[in-house]
Amino acid sequence: MKKIDKSSTNSSSLLLNKTSRRDFFKKAAVYSASAVAASSLLSPVKLSAEEKDDKFITEEQPWATSLGYELNKNPYGVPSPYEHNVVRRTTPLLSSAGDMHAAISVTPLQDLKGIITPNGLFFTRTHNGVARIDPNKHRLMIHGMVKNPIVLTMEDIKKYPSESVIHFLECPSNGAAEWKTPQFDSLQFVKGMMSCTEWTGVRLKTILEDVGVDPKALWMLAEGGDGSSMSRTIPVEKAMDDAMIVYAMNGEALREEQGYPVRLLLPGWEANLSVKWLKRLEFGDKPWYCKEETSKYTTLLPTGKAIQHFYPLEVNSIITSPCPEKPWTDLKKGDIVEIEGLAWSGKGTITHVDISFDGGKNWVEAKLKGLVLPKAWTRFSYIYKYEGKELLLESRATDDSGDTQPTINQEKKIMGVEGVYHRNSINTWYIKANGEVHNAQMRS
Amino acid sequence: MLKCVHKTISVGVATLVLTSISAFGAFDGKKDAVDGGMIYPRKNGVYTVYRYNDQNISHFNYGRKPTANELKAWDTDIRPDGVGLPKGKGTVARGDELFEEQCAVCHGDFGAGGLGYPTLTGGDRASLTNQRTPGKTDAPKRTIGTYWPKASTLLWYIHDAMPYSHPKSLSWDDTYAITAYLLATNEIQLDGKDMDDDTVLSNENFLKIKMPNADGFIPNIDGPNGVKNVKAFLSDGKNIGAVGVRCMKDCKDDGAKLVVVKDPRTDVNPPFAEARDLPKKPKDTSVKPGQEEYEKSCAVCHGNDKMGAPEVGNKEAWAKVMKKGIDKVLATAIKGTGAMPPRGGSSYSDDKLKQIIEYMYSKSK
Repeated sequence: MKKIDKSSTNSSSLLLNKTSRRDFFKKAAVYSASAVAASSLLSPVKLSAEEKDDKFITEEQPWATSLGYELNKNPYGVPSPYEHNVVRRTTPLLSSAGDMHAAISVTPLQDLKGIITPNGLFFTRTHNGVARIDPNKHRLMIHGMVKNPIVLTMEDIKKYPSESVIHFLECPSNGAAEWKTPQFDSLQFVKGMMSCTEWTGVRLKTILEDVGVDPKALWMLAEGGDGSSMSRTIPVEKAMDDAMIVYAMNGEALREEQGYPVRLLLPGWEANLSVKWLKRLEFGDKPWYCKEETSKYTTLLPTGKAIQHFYPLEVNSIITSPCPEKPWTDLKKGDIVEIEGLAWSGKGTITHVDISFDGGKNWVEAKLKGLVLPKAWTRFSYIYKYEGKELLLESRATDDSGDTQPTINQEKKIMGVEGVYHRNSINTWYIKANGEVHNAQMRS
Repeated sequence: MLKCVHKTISVGVATLVLTSISAFGAFDGKKDAVDGGMIYPRKNGVYTVYRYNDQNISHFNYGRKPTANELKAWDTDIRPDGVGLPKGKGTVARGDELFEEQCAVCHGDFGAGGLGYPTLTGGDRASLTNQRTPGKTDAPKRTIGTYWPKASTLLWYIHDAMPYSHPKSLSWDDTYAITAYLLATNEIQLDGKDMDDDTVLSNENFLKIKMPNADGFIPNIDGPNGVKNVKAFLSDGKNIGAVGVRCMKDCKDDGAKLVVVKDPRTDVNPPFAEARDLPKKPKDTSVKPGQEEYEKSCAVCHGNDKMGAPEVGNKEAWAKVMKKGIDKVLATAIKGTGAMPPRGGSSYSDDKLKQIIEYMYSKSK
């Protein structure tokens, strides 16, 4: 803090000074005096307290001197218009010919707080546009190798005892644009194909116990009610573990983009498997070989073979602050700043997150904070004294199944660069000496 | 303040040693899930950190039994073993006609791609080992002939999900015909023989298709051990790249060098922006007559300039179209032209089509 000029330290002179300065600025404005001229004229008092005054404190603002708008103007609330840039985004790269019916929108992770994604910002992937389903006409049929096949209405589904759980959903293509080289300079596009929400619905096992699944049934077909009849084959073992039929997210009905009125939820697994607009579950003793588990959502290896039925999203993490969208350009050497990020694992619960400042040579452990839940986003934090130097900032998560995020080279050695799906290697932010943050990779 | 922070950091380093000893098994979990990950117990109303109602709950008996007709209407999936194969037949030649009418607009002539939608034919199975590492630009070609393991997937998917803007509109005969055509153009054999124009594909001979890449996938999911195989495969980190090591000091990463993003992509919508300010002007969100139908049924082709259809928003293209007069344009839309099927594949009335055309024109002035 700079010292205040001695001549203006007593209150009377302050007042005087204020009046005369105001007059001066008025005149200056009228005669269009340049700012340079003004400051040179004022040079003896340029360090006065008033100059540092924040006029948004010293002057009344319009919102404090007028009546606000009626409280229920928006019966369904909307964010402040000042937040209009906090939106999902798309790119033609992640579409066919720029068509946005079978494409993906990404969540603005750079602007999210905590571990819950607001419903309007949940990433969206569809294969035949967003279906608009009349909930009164929607049915869920469960049949095949079961004792008592059933048809359920939405009313029926909601009668079962409900449970609420917080889980992330992630598209297995998250980060797929960057297998070969970094392409985006944006957290939103590097890792935004994921979101985390509190889901409410019924445990699938609760329904299946009523239905009586034949012990010989190994597989369950889940089919969506959209134009593409999106379907996947799922092991009965998962259906009987933590699978759910969900109809609500963050306390309200599912958004249409997320499968209104009802979807399957398979915690920790490729989001594609959590079939939206769920209309049918069939049990059988053989897998179905659906389109989205053969021609797509299979991971081609350098051997020419492809992994099929690659379910879990493996342990992963990303630093959300700083990031290309939220750089450190406003920091000065010696400033204290919190490094923050998200870690998650589809195979379990986050146990550790480490931070490296030198591109992965040396690591320190970050703190986990907030709720640490299985198969959910977990926040981590590390408080850092900024030195105004170049950094290669990385985070690396470990989960309770024993998995630690691989380096790009470790992952590449086994998976190659053409597999599209399940990229979970360590991400690097290159921080320039001026605080700019750019997407980077440590690789060979 | 500074002092305080330094303390926090040093505490962090100290706890590292302690916590890493008891790293695994949060919430009494066991590494025994089918995905190679954790299973957490549900006991006495507690699941990890969640509570749940553990009253003895079962036999809710909600819902009702589906009728035979309902099952028939919805149970239309087709398995590779032939379960669910519907009756029907079609020739390669008929499939060729149908493909040109209904599919080529997105997938290109002969399914050869080039329009931004999936390429269905061509390529070589040997290309599957291609890796685009520096200096190598040839991509693996994942088409029906080189990649798809099962023919049943093709028949089922085409019937349920295609054509893109009006799925479930093809009869089973037509679906067999298109499938036959796609198999033939991919040089896939039926009963050990090449397929020609007159080859008939039907539910009778469907299981005699041999897909070239049928054995291209791991692990083996067929048979009574299918799920066990998946579990074993996913449980071994070496199979799936789960080989990270929690090294803390002087860690080596062979040959890794810094690669910073070059010419980052900016073709995003809405454009990147982080300012907290008021939006420029409120968007006109009212829906114009014909707009909804346009977006549903016409935008796939008319929304861009890649498909050869007059692009909405292109003044020149639409001025040329409308010079013919609305009646002629409507007549063309009803009849179809070039790659455009009659009524764009929709069942809209003449009046509705006219409304859509007027909407498209209004957006192109």
